[in-house]
Amino acid sequence: MTDHFEVHERDGAARLGELRLADPVTTPALADPFLEDAGSLWAAEQEVPDGDDDALTVLPHRAFPAGTRDPVKESFRVDGPDVDYPSAVVVAADDARDVGADAYLLSDAEGFVGHAAAFVEAIVEVRETLPTDTAVFLSGVATPRNAATLVYAGVDLLDATKARARGLEGMYLTDEGEYFLEDLEELPCACPACATPREEFDRADCAAHNVNALKAELRRIRHRIREGRLRDYVEGQARHDQWLTATMRRLDDQWAYLEERTPLIRDSELTAATEDTLSRVEIQRFADRVTSRYRSRLTDHPLVLVPCSATKPYSDSQSHRQFHDAIQWRGHVASMTSPIGVVPQELETTYPAQHYDSVVTGDWSGDEIEFVAEVLRRYLERNDYPRVIAHVPEDGYREICERVAAEVDTPFEYTCVDHPTTDESLGELNAALQGEDAYRKREREHATVRALADYQLGDGAGDALFPEDLRTTGRYPKIQSWTDGVGDDGTQLATMVPQYGVHSFTLAGGKRWVESDAPTKRVEIDGFVPRGSVLAPGVLDASDDIRPGDEVVIEGPKAFAVGRAAMSGPEMVDSSRGIAVEIRHSEEK
Amino acid sequence: MSKPSPEAFEEGRGMDAHNEVMRDIRAEKSETYDPHEPTRVWVDEDNTPDGVKQSLTIILNTGGCRWARAGGCTMCGYVAESVEGGSVAHEALMDQIQVCLDHEAENAEGTADLIKIYTSGSFLDEREVPAETRRAIAETFADRERIVVESLPDFVEADRVSDFTDVGLETDVAVGLETATDRVRRDCVNKYFEFADFEDACAEARSVGAGVKAYLLLKPPFLAEPEAAADMIDSIERCADVEGCHTVSMNPCNVQRYTMVDELFFEGGYRPPWLWTVAHVLEETADVDAIVVSDPVGHGSERGAHNCGECDDRVQTAIKDFDLRQDPSVFEQVSCECEATWEYVMDAETSYNMPLVR
Repeated sequence: MTDHFEVHERDGAARLGELRLADPVTTPALADPFLEDAGSLWAAEQEVPDGDDDALTVLPHRAFPAGTRDPVKESFRVDGPDVDYPSAVVVAADDARDVGADAYLLSDAEGFVGHAAAFVEAIVEVRETLPTDTAVFLSGVATPRNAATLVYAGVDLLDATKARARGLEGMYLTDEGEYFLEDLEELPCACPACATPREEFDRADCAAHNVNALKAELRRIRHRIREGRLRDYVEGQARHDQWLTATMRRLDDQWAYLEERTPLIRDSELTAATEDTLSRVEIQRFADRVTSRYRSRLTDHPLVLVPCSATKPYSDSQSHRQFHDAIQWRGHVASMTSPIGVVPQELETTYPAQHYDSVVTGDWSGDEIEFVAEVLRRYLERNDYPRVIAHVPEDGYREICERVAAEVDTPFEYTCVDHPTTDESLGELNAALQGEDAYRKREREHATVRALADYQLGDGAGDALFPEDLRTTGRYPKIQSWTDGVGDDGTQLATMVPQYGVHSFTLAGGKRWVESDAPTKRVEIDGFVPRGSVLAPGVLDASDDIRPGDEVVIEGPKAFAVGRAAMSGPEMVDSSRGIAVEIRHSEEK
Repeated sequence: MSKPSPEAFEEGRGMDAHNEVMRDIRAEKSETYDPHEPTRVWVDEDNTPDGVKQSLTIILNTGGCRWARAGGCTMCGYVAESVEGGSVAHEALMDQIQVCLDHEAENAEGTADLIKIYTSGSFLDEREVPAETRRAIAETFADRERIVVESLPDFVEADRVSDFTDVGLETDVAVGLETATDRVRRDCVNKYFEFADFEDACAEARSVGAGVKAYLLLKPPFLAEPEAAADMIDSIERCADVEGCHTVSMNPCNVQRYTMVDELFFEGGYRPPWLWTVAHVLEETADVDAIVVSDPVGHGSERGAHNCGECDDRVQTAIKDFDLRQDPSVFEQVSCECEATWEYVMDAETSYNMPLVR
């Protein structure tokens, strides 16, 4: 049972936590100021200390440095004593076991930090083995440059020992590099230590600067986690050291580890500025759901492919308004975009379609072309349109369309003469749709309601939750879904949340979900009626596929409720602290 | 345990594990050596209770240490230099002695007063060096002043040591105690005897007028720099207090191939001690009632005791100077910017963040 560490916010594998000392500490943090070491059992017998609520006490330990073989670990392993003050135990990464401590100090960090494959293997194994609400602590390795990637991978506590030692060795550390102090003509920093005139600035000052730089980096990292934007930062910052970039990429290959921890929705921007953005969970998940869960309800009409716009949602942009004026609801619109792939009009507000911001040069990389082509191909294999009108410019877009056209049965025609928004191009688009019927507002709103349910809950969920009796009210994008009429005559099931393009359910909607064939994301609780939130210790069981930000139903012997998950299903089951679900509506049974 | 022996002590989970791992590591070694050649021989000078003497040091190839065959010490690769098959006959051993005498004739000024014989095991173990050979070697060097022979404490028996004292040699038994702390010797070094056995060996040697030279190991695996330094200071003080132990040789651990230390080093979990630590320990123990010396092997290299690379030779020179003069002021004459780094390591390095600095 973890008594002194709680995770408050999650951003992928990175977490914002609270180490509950007498003076609480927000993690990720540097542990030096509050660490008490009870000593090594290799050197001498050690007493289990009385402990202190002001400090994180490292319990008597036998550290296994990098390179220690398994038989030695097995025979010298120490069982952590059960203490009631904030405590850390020392373990080797591949030998970590839950012993009820608040933090786990990895004794072999010197061996794997700096080596991407070994580092990822170590951290993923430790995080998957230990309870989620425990802190992972690496001592003697943090620098201003590697801290963001260490935290991004799932580390909660670091210390300043390495940064200080490097300074005393005459190495000046920044978030982007490591310099011989003697080579620096001027100091690239304005921290108090660096206010010392250059000619007087010595190695002690250098050590002080390194620690300042590391502290500043930790503040930046915490802010990025709060914003939900650590990945955007790491994608750029990790470029400054090859092993850090390699680490980020290798973590992207750990799909199960990252996907479980990545929220379904965010209301912050997603920066798409590197080729690594394509591998992000958010991007891959969207592409996967569009091509395996979503289904177009407007396939009686041609599919009109248009280029994306910088303004989000796309329909607010000037170019898309011009496209709309030409199309007039006679075709089903999907936008082609890197790095998202294909965004059908119903999902234009759904995270991250409305939230990404990419670098626009007009040039497409081979990877981008391949990725978008693959999504489009799968999209057309799943949705049976009579034809495709590709209203796309030459560069990249056209190449993608031609590549896919050769692989699918649906015929393609092209309507751009030069630029998509010239009168001539728009005239061609209009002409290509001559004779097509326009679909009605009701039809497109119903398609949107069902599309969101598909995307959120699974293949077929839209039709299962919202069959023929669906009625909609409200102005797009705030569509409310009802059954058996609206207002006093009917029952509201859900409201579309325009910020991230998902449904939030009413109690009636939640019940319909439970009764439907769609797979339910269910949180089982004990015999109480939740108000406001459900804490992790109150969770008896939770579906494995619940992700942070997911809609969930909460059921117990005394209550039924709907809400939004604050953590993943496995974390709810595993955790002994923290908010598991934010409740929206609940009722006593 | 009343009588220490390799067999009796290969018990207990920690020792089983260490031995299992060390056997595996040593098995990776395939070279064998000629039983008619000594492992190494060199001429040097040494500080003895009778002053500084020219010395002939012989590493005899005897087939190696019995304890090492069971697994053995975590830092010791010397067994890997021993002959295949395990034992070397009397004639072959005497051939080795002849090679050493030839070496001395070529390289020494006259004959060395001090003869030091190591075997990477126990010279007094009759399974390594038969009694016949021991007596023949005593005869060979009977005209010298002093002899040092290496042995584990269990083989230090009065009638074996007296083979040397009886021919008029000042005799010292070199005992690889490694540390006075039983826990560290057992768990970090994987040695099977206890400090009490060392005390018994000293008494046994003294009974026939011989002395004991204790060999200590600075920074075995699993200890951080400050822990290692504290262990040495305490060990030197305790050794000096034992009657009969007139010299302590405190030697920094170096990284030898086919050892556990080598694996830790390779994977990033071990750094040999700083030369500053050697100097610090010698300074702190300068007033004990024993000669304290240190001979950092491979100093300045990453596999041996080292500082920053700039000052290693100067600090090594000071240590050698201290060995001969026992005057701690030699260390006041060396300084380097890296002392501040070392001081920080002494303050902040722990077994869970080591090595803090390479």
